[in-house]
Amino acid sequence: MNRTQTHRQHPSNAESAHETMVDGHVTITELEKVYESGDERTTAIEDFSVTVPSGEFLGVVGPSGCGKSTLLYLVAGFLEQTTGTIAVDSDPIDGPGTDRGVVFQDYALFPWRTVMGNVTYGLEEKGVGKEKRQATAQRFIDMMDLDGFEDKYPKELSGGMKQRVALARTLAYDPKILLMDEPFGALDQPLRESLQDHLIDIWRELEKTVIFITHDVEEAVYLSERVLIMTRHPGTKKTTVNIELDRTQPREELVLSDEYTTTKNDVWQSLREETTPGGEH
Amino acid sequence: MSYADFRLETVAETIPNPFRRVVRFVFEWIPIAIVAGLWELASGTIVSSEILPPPSAVFAVSWELLVSGRLLPHLQVSLYRIGVGLGLSIVVGVALGVGMARVKPIENFFEVFLALIYPVPKAALVPLAILWLGVGTETAILIVFLACLLPIVLNSYNAARNVDRNLIWSARMMGMPAWKLPIKVVVPATIPSILTGIRQAIPIAFIALVSAELIASNRGVGFEILRHGQIGNYTSMFAVLVVISGTAFVAVRGYEWLERRVVTWT
Repeated sequence: MNRTQTHRQHPSNAESAHETMVDGHVTITELEKVYESGDERTTAIEDFSVTVPSGEFLGVVGPSGCGKSTLLYLVAGFLEQTTGTIAVDSDPIDGPGTDRGVVFQDYALFPWRTVMGNVTYGLEEKGVGKEKRQATAQRFIDMMDLDGFEDKYPKELSGGMKQRVALARTLAYDPKILLMDEPFGALDQPLRESLQDHLIDIWRELEKTVIFITHDVEEAVYLSERVLIMTRHPGTKKTTVNIELDRTQPREELVLSDEYTTTKNDVWQSLREETTPGGEH
Repeated sequence: MSYADFRLETVAETIPNPFRRVVRFVFEWIPIAIVAGLWELASGTIVSSEILPPPSAVFAVSWELLVSGRLLPHLQVSLYRIGVGLGLSIVVGVALGVGMARVKPIENFFEVFLALIYPVPKAALVPLAILWLGVGTETAILIVFLACLLPIVLNSYNAARNVDRNLIWSARMMGMPAWKLPIKVVVPATIPSILTGIRQAIPIAFIALVSAELIASNRGVGFEILRHGQIGNYTSMFAVLVVISGTAFVAVRGYEWLERRVVTWT
């Protein structure tokens, strides 16, 4: 994968870019999610507010079981909040919508469809004509280095390839917001790194808003413009950390730089307070 | 549990490819050869060949019955009954299984019937079926249908209930309305289990068919067993049994072969 060798470079004027783009900002206000089963009430998310400007790459880290995935599925519209609002471009969401696209950790590809069939799925639902959707799908298949695998079924692909298909499938129907739930969590280190670089290229090229859930601090710091740290049970926003790194350097230099190490340690420290028993509420 | 679970993979893997199929075939038939050999020896020595005809004679008669065409009309009738009964059970069973899994009132309504019907031997329903439908094809079809329904309903019900939540969410996020989910996501995701249910149903169909035809028919292979037995023609009786068993075996193997070729994505 040659493209992963390119230097990673966020838009140099990230702030102004966000302001000029009107589409794809997410506003979460006083969100609460309580699961009820029988007499038992479990608060998964509490008092959670955050604004994600258009085009931002927001990483979300938190101890396991803190409700990171619940948060993402609330934003996706798969789950319904107990109180609070989630708005995309100021419109409160009402269930799932094609303005948001989720990438799952377990890929969630349709096993009965080929790579091409998976990637064209969203376009079919949009009512795009056959030729147009094949062409669009092909563009994203090529972008994810999957050309030649169009007619393969998911069972014939490796984990890394499945995740690239899943990404192509989500990108193909052009959601403004990408919601990623530990998408690289099941992959080994080299594969994960190459997909991370791939994702940054895509994010830059397609100008998506990204909310990226991970338990991996390094991954969050490496990818994100801003990292949100969640508290342990129930999940609330603890703090956000702006990541300011010189993105022109290649990965191997960037990960050795002082800024990277310092930022990573800050996030790690903050997260550690939540994972050690003393940090419990 | 079934034919397919009996495989000698580990032995087969040590053998060069071109010979594997042959070796596997030979291994698979060795137990039958042993039993047939012992049977051949016992017949006419330990046991009277009147009541235990030797396999050589039985197979010869089986072959003769098939080649002469004397059994073919009966086989045709029987296969037709199985085809219709099994076909109906697939249509009804999949619809019922998926419906029960996704719609709570349907589940509540049918669950108790399934629990009650499950332990009842379907052969016990033959007299009742005769009362309703008379002696003949309809009764046999009904019994085959009822017997095959359960494995198909249960397999599709369990699978449709456990469809990966993320598959459904994936479809929803790409703009699929909820009412399309059963056809576009639940059924395709359930296909591997539906196919397993059908494979389990094939031998059951033969069991049900013969038990129906023994009582409620004057044609078909089950009736032929009874007829030969009643006139004391035990070699022919055995021969028809061999034909039934062979036909069921070929049906399952043929089905598995077809399944591998048609449903390549599982």
